[in-house]
Amino acid sequence: MQGQDAGRENDPRMQSETDEELMLQVRDGAGETLGVLFDRYHTPLYNFYAKLTGDRTLSEDLVQEVFLRILRHRNTFRMGTPFRAWIYQIARNARIDHFRKSRPEVAFEPEMAPAVAQGDPAQQQQESELLHRALMELPEEKRELLVLCRFQELPYEEVARLVGCGVSTVKVRIHRALQELREVFHQLQAAPAGSAQRNTRQNIPPRRIGHEV
Amino acid sequence: MKCEEIAGLLPDYLQEGLGAEQKKIVERHLESCVQCNEVAGLWKKLALIPDEQPSAAGRERFEAMLHAYQTGRGEEGSTRRVAADSGKSGWSVFQWLRSPVGAVAWSIALVALGTYLGMQIGAAKSGSQDLAAMHTELTNMRQMVALSMLQQQSASQRLEGVSWTRREGQLDPQVLSALMHTLRYDQSVDVRLAALDALSRHAGQPQVKQTVVDALQEQQSPLVQVALIDQLVEWRDAEAAPRLEKLRETPNLNTTVRQRADWAISKLN
Repeated sequence: MQGQDAGRENDPRMQSETDEELMLQVRDGAGETLGVLFDRYHTPLYNFYAKLTGDRTLSEDLVQEVFLRILRHRNTFRMGTPFRAWIYQIARNARIDHFRKSRPEVAFEPEMAPAVAQGDPAQQQQESELLHRALMELPEEKRELLVLCRFQELPYEEVARLVGCGVSTVKVRIHRALQELREVFHQLQAAPAGSAQRNTRQNIPPRRIGHEV
Repeated sequence: MKCEEIAGLLPDYLQEGLGAEQKKIVERHLESCVQCNEVAGLWKKLALIPDEQPSAAGRERFEAMLHAYQTGRGEEGSTRRVAADSGKSGWSVFQWLRSPVGAVAWSIALVALGTYLGMQIGAAKSGSQDLAAMHTELTNMRQMVALSMLQQQSASQRLEGVSWTRREGQLDPQVLSALMHTLRYDQSVDVRLAALDALSRHAGQPQVKQTVVDALQEQQSPLVQVALIDQLVEWRDAEAAPRLEKLRETPNLNTTVRQRADWAISKLN
């Protein structure tokens, strides 16, 4: 996963090293190497949070929290652990811990809709906004699965390990999430703008599993 | 193929994880089923929601956090290292002295020292100041060994600790106190009996008699109770008679202990 930020990414030696190699260096005391991993994961993690919470400021804060946790718990990183799975585990836990302290109030706000790339027709822009809205109205667990599998492009096997269930369960849940997304999307299409706000009571953060980081 | 069957294949189809044959089956179904087609279409449409770029301030915040963390760690690390280094040597020596190996080493060292002193005293046959100082040192060391061994996990080592106290005429208050504690609270009956035997030589100390009298009520083992009664009789401690009376009134008291208490009361009065 390559980030777009400049900085240490320009160092060819660093660029050629895998995430795991870099993390092992961080673990062994080279804290500054974490900057390369930050550059690689800053944008994906930010988008993971932004699509889940719909809150830009919170997403920025949570990304910082993830890297602070990595520093604090760097000694728990073991050789052979896939770094991406490890960092997403930390990211999930950071979010769950955050929402344990304050209940989420997820609601779609127009400014949350990212600007669609220039040149897109107006209809596509509208569809994208509607879809984003539908996504935000899904129960948290379903939204998280779609974000992980579709936007973060994690394979089902990795997601299964992350959320602590079987691969077939993930696939079934993905299908159900898409079916529900379809229903909500239709409801939003049928309803006048701003009046199709579904109840978001079901937005309960998923339970923590795995590492205590 | 039915929608339910396609549902099992669709997720893999979406992540392009199907073989050519299964892919064709799904695609044929999607052409004829509006609902499944919409579901698959939504997956593709989700790509319409583009990724956002986080603010550049995020990188600066990260740099600041990393710097602060490393600075904090550096200071904390050096403080910890100093504390660990200073604590380590003292602690490990203390631990070693308390370990069984340490106790054995103490014993050997003391025997060697004792032999040397004995030879010196025998040769000199006089109490020079140096010899007096060495004698005091030897006594102190023996008492330290006794104290250390009384705190060991193993009952046999505690027993040995009790026997070390017998070698001294005058016990250090700390050792005496440890011995009294052993009499009252040691888990092993043998060690408690040995402690009582060692304490019997220190009847001159008022707190020793008091401890033995108090132990009468506390002890549950008939063996120890009988030994305590015998000790009080041996000391001819008339003040213990009322406590013995109280003891024999204790419900469910062992018959032998009660008879022994009766005998002791008659002796003391």
